Amino acid sequence: MNTVITKERLEQILDQALQDVTERTAGVRLNQGDQPPGEDLCTVHITFDKGFSTSLTLCADTSLLSRMARNSFHEEELEPEDLEEFTKEYFNVLCGKIAGAMFQATRVPAHFSPPTFYHGRYEPEGQEVQFVLTYSDEHREGAQLIHHVPRSNADGAGSDQA
Amino acid sequence: MSKRVMVVDDSRLVRVQLEDVLKGTDYQIAAYCRSGEDAIKQYAEVNPDLVTMDIIMQGMDGLDAAEIILKDHPDARIVMVSSLAYGDTFDRAKAIGAKGFVDKPFHQEQLLKVFEQALL
Repeated sequence: MNTVITKERLEQILDQALQDVTERTAGVRLNQGDQPPGEDLCTVHITFDKGFSTSLTLCADTSLLSRMARNSFHEEELEPEDLEEFTKEYFNVLCGKIAGAMFQATRVPAHFSPPTFYHGRYEPEGQEVQFVLTYSDEHREGAQLIHHVPRSNADGAGSDQA
Repeated sequence: MSKRVMVVDDSRLVRVQLEDVLKGTDYQIAAYCRSGEDAIKQYAEVNPDLVTMDIIMQGMDGLDAAEIILKDHPDARIVMVSSLAYGDTFDRAKAIGAKGFVDKPFHQEQLLKVFEQALL
């Protein structure tokens, strides 16, 4: 039974899940590129607390997340709480999709914590960046999906059982 | 005649997506419940043809709620909605009598196929 997942395979899983979930949830096509989010951004974060000792963070331009929220909720105007509600629910669906794909690849069931939302940039303590996937859409608004691993474990993306 | 669906999910995003996907089909949303507890309370009154049940919700989770509903209403047709359709979760859902699993975000074709099978 394969319980190890390579960094390259994990990047592929994350990329496919992000593109698929974003397009189907919010009607926005994100393509990998080199345009990072600007200064007005939001962050949403989860920790895989069973199966994989890693965490995922999405930093995105507030304007991009707002547009995605308006598309998804079919609302012209957002209430103040809508942005956070949408971002957490979207990321929850995305991470569920990723956990499902990781299970297919490793047979290790991965569970994750409820998403936490921040205005601005957030970096989880005790973890270091293993890789960053950078995206932008047709309006040149950017997002970054960041995979963190516990410090001194940045070489392999493997599971607890690896 | 259209089939009546009770949606049990604490996510507004999922509720909106389900509305979109079921628009123009033979299914209509008869009730929304934001929790497993609410679903147990409302089930008899709504008397739906089908229930979509999220698994991870605040308070009682969807598996516990489905089990209680099925104990009281053995003919209930409950489809679990979750990305976590594997391992123990999948086994338990099958054991308590769930009629199927649907992934988020929804594919209309997949959703309708699972609904159709659940109603056989």
